Amino acid sequence: MTTVTPPRIRPIPVSLRRGWSWSNIITAAILGALIAADLSIQPALGNLVQIGLLIETALPLVLLAVAQTFVVLVGGIDLSVGGVYVVTNAITVTWVGLHGGAHQWLLVVALGFGVAMGALNGLLVVRLGFQPFIATLGTWTIFNGIALTILPTDGGSPPPLLSNLLLDQVAGIPSSIVILAGIVVAWRLLRASRFGMRMYAVGADEERARLNGTPVRTVKLCVYVIAGLCAALAGIYAAGANASGTPTGGDAYILTSVAAVVIGGTSLRGGEGGVGMTVMGAMSLTLINDIVGAENLNTWVSVAAASALLLAMVIARTLIGAALARRRT
Amino acid sequence: MTRVGGWLAERQSTLMAYALTAALFIVGVIHSPGFASGSSIRQMLVFASFVGFAALGQTLVILAGGLDLSVPWLMAFGGVELSRLSASGTPAGLGVVIVIAIGVGIGLLNGVGATWMRVPPIVMTLAMGGLIQAYLLAVGQLSSSGDTVPSIAVGLASNRAGPVPVIAIVWLVIAIATGVLIGRTAFGRRVHATGENDLAARLSGIRVDRVRIVTYAISGAASAFGGIVLAGYVGTTYLEIGAPYLFTSIAAVVVGGASILGGRGTYWGTVAGALTLTVLSALLPLFHLNTADLEIVYGVVILLGVWASGGGRMLGGIRLRRAGPEGVRPGAQEGSDAAA
Repeated sequence: MTTVTPPRIRPIPVSLRRGWSWSNIITAAILGALIAADLSIQPALGNLVQIGLLIETALPLVLLAVAQTFVVLVGGIDLSVGGVYVVTNAITVTWVGLHGGAHQWLLVVALGFGVAMGALNGLLVVRLGFQPFIATLGTWTIFNGIALTILPTDGGSPPPLLSNLLLDQVAGIPSSIVILAGIVVAWRLLRASRFGMRMYAVGADEERARLNGTPVRTVKLCVYVIAGLCAALAGIYAAGANASGTPTGGDAYILTSVAAVVIGGTSLRGGEGGVGMTVMGAMSLTLINDIVGAENLNTWVSVAAASALLLAMVIARTLIGAALARRRT
Repeated sequence: MTRVGGWLAERQSTLMAYALTAALFIVGVIHSPGFASGSSIRQMLVFASFVGFAALGQTLVILAGGLDLSVPWLMAFGGVELSRLSASGTPAGLGVVIVIAIGVGIGLLNGVGATWMRVPPIVMTLAMGGLIQAYLLAVGQLSSSGDTVPSIAVGLASNRAGPVPVIAIVWLVIAIATGVLIGRTAFGRRVHATGENDLAARLSGIRVDRVRIVTYAISGAASAFGGIVLAGYVGTTYLEIGAPYLFTSIAAVVVGGASILGGRGTYWGTVAGALTLTVLSALLPLFHLNTADLEIVYGVVILLGVWASGGGRMLGGIRLRRAGPEGVRPGAQEGSDAAA
């Protein structure tokens, strides 16, 4: 007698249930504590302009971590986000910024590069069956090489209009805050859409999603494209905000983007977490740097604090998760 | 007949990697005969050995289903700490032993975190790398005016025994030892089993956590040693000295035909991977290609190498889960995080 073995079913991830989970609460608590600490050290931070400046320094990491979140949500990892970042960064300060910004429409080309690079990752993973880690390990260095070809050394200049736009205010609110709010709103919309649901379904259990008729490959491909687009936005934003470009500045972001995702509470197994939590994680990392800078402490303190926070958050989540699981059974 | 066939099939990806090395080398020789000169080969061997040491532990860790991102910082640590110890009057030989011992200790912490504490290997070793980096930043700003590298490291990296660099001989000896460890011992079989199928290994009585912890410890030792030799070659130490080896250590392993998911691979494959990457980087300047082109070619070679060594198995995205008896899929084990 032959029986069909039913696919093993994982419990529905916490993130698919309504309301705030304990995992969100930990992330928010850490962020809240860091905000309180920073405010007590620098009370001057409590106005909109200062907050805008802080978010301005955070935004490239936020956008790259958002890109990383998408890929991690479907159970992958993207080492090439830093590569996409430097390519679009380089394009923005060279081709787009050329002749004082006479060719600003070329920004579309920069975004197109982001989409194309994301699609390349997606095709390698989905069509050729590469492990995400390997595929993006390869494209990471390829993209770095492309960036170096476009912009051999730090420098260049973005179109002035871009810099003005990104550093300006919208109705009295610094545009960095508006952009951050835009990211969160866009995420809420995407999350609620059918695509958002499918994304979580693929991340939670690919086999089950396939059996349910979810177009797993298409969803994954789209996710890599979205990641490429977000990383491209990060590169363009950084070019505008810093009024200069760098062909080598991406490598540092690869690991910090993963750190922001993990601190936020998105599971590397996929299917759990989200962009909102990642934004909190990235802001936490930025606040650590800010506090260390304000206190005139050495750089090592900030590196150590970020690493310790990363470890503490993961271990705390594991312990609490295990305790909850024990209580449930 | 079948034995030879089986032997070939088993080592197909390793042989492919050596064939790639040879092909690249021949291209270099055809283009400029000086490529095969003694000094050129010696230099390539020395450079390849650095990759080889960085990738030694990485091979074992990946074989057991993990990943070690702390390698570059361990390497920087190796050179810096040895210089610091010798500056404070510790005999150089003792210094080397101490540094390697600390490397083992750091590796043990990585292993304990990635197994008993259930931290995904990527996160654990990433955080550990951050902590080492913080330590290196704390002990000095590490400008090149730092402590001088002791002569034992310099000698190890630049002395020659006849026509052969000493470090190449050391590498060969260590490679043979590692090859025996992976291929001919019970420990090696346990590493393979752990990486192949965590649950099956557990059920057959292998203490998979302990096996994994040992692989991380070996990685710590090998990387620290590699860092010592690298510092000896460069003649100074600085914070970013190990940075290229995050990429090359993993690349050498996968070009050598190992599966990033664990369970499949050999150190001899990794040796071929290290040689390939080194010959490639020596080859490109001959064709007037710069660093930017080198990075692009590196990426393409990795993708092609993995694609070729994976053969048809990787095509079509079919190999999403490792083969295993129904119900004993390793999906939920921590080993799968490395692949994530």
